[in-house]
Amino acid sequence: MRKLSLAAALLAGSAITTPAFAEGHLQIVDEPLELTIQMNHRAYPIYEEDWPVEQAARALTNIHLKDVTVGANMRTDSENTGNTEALNLMLASGTIPDIVGSSRIKDFVNQYGPEGAFYPLNDLIDEHAPNIKAFYAERPDIAASVKAADGQMYYIPYLPDGKYGRAYWIRTDWLDALGLDMPETVDEYEAVLRAFKTQDPNGNGEADEVPFFARQWPELIRLVTLWDGRAHGSDTYHDFYVDDGQITHGYIGEGYREGMKNLARWYADGLIDAEIFTRGSSARDFLLSENLGGATHDWFASTGGYNSLASEIEGFEFKAMVPPASVSGKQIEEHRRILVKPDGWAIGHTNEHPVETIKYFDFWFTEEGRRLANFGVEGMHYDMVDGKPIFKQEFLDAGPVNRSLYQIGAQLQGRGYFQDYDYEVQWTNEIALEGIELYEQGDYLIPDFLGVSFNADEQRIYDKHWGSVRDYMLERQQAWILGSADIEEEWDDYLAQLDSLGLQDVLEVMQSAYERQYGN
Amino acid sequence: MSDRNSDVGGIPIEEVVVEAQEALRDRSQTRVPDKNWVKVLDHFKREWQIYAMLLPTLIWFVVFLYKPMYGLQIAFKDYSIFRGVAGSPWIGWEHFETLFTNDQFLRAVRNTIYISALNLLFGFPAPIILALMFNEVMHATYKRTAQTIVYLPHFISSVIIAGIVITAFSPSAGIVNTFISWLGFEPIYFLTQPEWFRPIFVGTGIWQEAGFGSIVFLAAIAGVNPSLYESAVVDGANRWQMMWKITIPSILPTILIMLIIRIGNVMEVSFELVILLYQPSTYETADVVNTWVYRQGLQSGQYDLAAAAGLFNAVVAFVLVMTANTLSRRFSRTSLW
Repeated sequence: MRKLSLAAALLAGSAITTPAFAEGHLQIVDEPLELTIQMNHRAYPIYEEDWPVEQAARALTNIHLKDVTVGANMRTDSENTGNTEALNLMLASGTIPDIVGSSRIKDFVNQYGPEGAFYPLNDLIDEHAPNIKAFYAERPDIAASVKAADGQMYYIPYLPDGKYGRAYWIRTDWLDALGLDMPETVDEYEAVLRAFKTQDPNGNGEADEVPFFARQWPELIRLVTLWDGRAHGSDTYHDFYVDDGQITHGYIGEGYREGMKNLARWYADGLIDAEIFTRGSSARDFLLSENLGGATHDWFASTGGYNSLASEIEGFEFKAMVPPASVSGKQIEEHRRILVKPDGWAIGHTNEHPVETIKYFDFWFTEEGRRLANFGVEGMHYDMVDGKPIFKQEFLDAGPVNRSLYQIGAQLQGRGYFQDYDYEVQWTNEIALEGIELYEQGDYLIPDFLGVSFNADEQRIYDKHWGSVRDYMLERQQAWILGSADIEEEWDDYLAQLDSLGLQDVLEVMQSAYERQYGN
Repeated sequence: MSDRNSDVGGIPIEEVVVEAQEALRDRSQTRVPDKNWVKVLDHFKREWQIYAMLLPTLIWFVVFLYKPMYGLQIAFKDYSIFRGVAGSPWIGWEHFETLFTNDQFLRAVRNTIYISALNLLFGFPAPIILALMFNEVMHATYKRTAQTIVYLPHFISSVIIAGIVITAFSPSAGIVNTFISWLGFEPIYFLTQPEWFRPIFVGTGIWQEAGFGSIVFLAAIAGVNPSLYESAVVDGANRWQMMWKITIPSILPTILIMLIIRIGNVMEVSFELVILLYQPSTYETADVVNTWVYRQGLQSGQYDLAAAAGLFNAVVAFVLVMTANTLSRRFSRTSLW
């Protein structure tokens, strides 16, 4: 019964969408074609043929995807190992479906694609995917970043839209209570955090305030940008970054040294959450709702949402602030939404219809396809108002919008599509939008490192050394913050030890891969 | 001591006699080899139920332990899942060279052995002591309640155990630090200090497993012949003497077998708990072989390297079990085989 009404709504929906074009202009095949798919999406780990979005896509293209997912994995740890595991399991099972879509698919297809497990896509895109081709023509940097070491593309990525990710947040009502101005430089920022610690802004008579906290402790390390250092080169923590054409790592820079020295001092003075390394993902929730947390560095939309606490804590106001100016006067926001995710989908080598499949991938880059992937089905989930898709009120009211979208098959990161940030603006809260506006005016973002693809030799060297190098970096990093070792005393030994662990070899292979991939 | 209790290699004398008789009979039968298969067939016809019962276990061993051994060869290969076990090229000892030239791996081996030694030293006697203490408790309701309480942590997931430990040792809200500051000392951020990791980890392990581990020893104690205690009471022995002279010697074979099994697991520190409790700042003492393999091997899909480390673990465990078993057989006549 439910399916019937769904189909009816679909028919009505497509009837509204299509009149501007000739009937069936998106149809790829005359006779319905069935393709198998494996889908491991971060938030919704299986593919469902009943998703309204999928039904609409089927009606428009005549291509039917059939779910054959093995090893669907709900685990969403920070490294997303669940998705990689599911992919490995699929490969080990010996059959690769026609289409493989997953979060964290990039390294996987770029390793096994050249071995023959996936179709190389360059020619297919060139000949049969005009929309994808047009997108890449406009963004050659993105096109370069998805390529494997052999110069071929093996997957069509999920491309996030919108520039802003994380921002500096501060309890503005605490500033008011203590008669302080919004901090604009690193020194003022320190003074404010110190005042939060010592002047009892929550007014309970105890110095129990936690001036700076973070859900993920690497966000603390990001503060080294206030001393002109660098921490994370992309939205992957501890990533490399590109400095004037040279690949380097934040954790060996002078600014990092200076920043860590000062952060250690902040930690010793109690300006940083004493439990920063173990408090974990509940830090923001706990410290804000207990009226203890003063400042953090976190995502716009979700952090802005905590202002609803005003109903419980009198005057509660947690707002985004522009990045404080560093010691040399630079204002940098190191984190941004990455341009291209390592997520998306690929064509398995046993697929007998690669041309139809790439056309199907291209469908999601057409105007209708992109709208379908972003907003759901017209008439069911959104209406066109002045040429723009606007979510229906009842859809927005039905709970967290992101989750509702996953449940209808939209915004799937295991699908290659170009996100439309408009989808998020419609339900992002006022305070977050206000903050984004603030960052929009200032232009604080810096370019992200989009990653490299190694050939087999480079991969071997990277695998051999990088794990040890990273472990050592993180070990010393925490020791310095916690005060169990002194960065000034150790710095030269630290650099020497990194070299002996093979950091230079890693940088060398990164550099050669980088030049091959992004060089002209 | 009467004749009844004398034994040969831990086996009561009657059994030895029966075995010897059977052996003699077997030998007389081997004189007519051509009829052997008839005997075997007869035997199976008579006892097929027993073999049928054995079958599931055998299948389990073949499917889950012997068949995977085929895959062990990837420790010597440049393994690609796509190419498969057979299709990947051989590369000799390269993975082992990678392991043994890596300081962090060697540190992980040392940590593993160190933590296991502590576990053996403190964690192994704990359930025995617990079982002996339970044995002395007379009040039945009290005993049962106490047993339930100490068994419970075993059934809690490691994730929850880690959550409890992190909270208990938290510098701001944890009960341990509340107590420390109540005594007038500075709170300690236990979980980021390398020197505290091992005590906390081993202590957590004892809390989690000592109760459940005591069950096997309680069962052994229950099997001690009550007449031994009765005669001891007649001889005027007190409870302390009975524990030392009767209970412990009687359960010694069980203790030794458990010890041998435990030694075989020396390389298997419960690594999920380590992963949940450690931090980069405590890698120095906390990083064990399995967590190292997890970080280096599995997160980046280096199954071949992980297999090499696993093979190394297995070899070490095998040597340790063989040694322990031989020593035990020689000195106490108790052994696994």
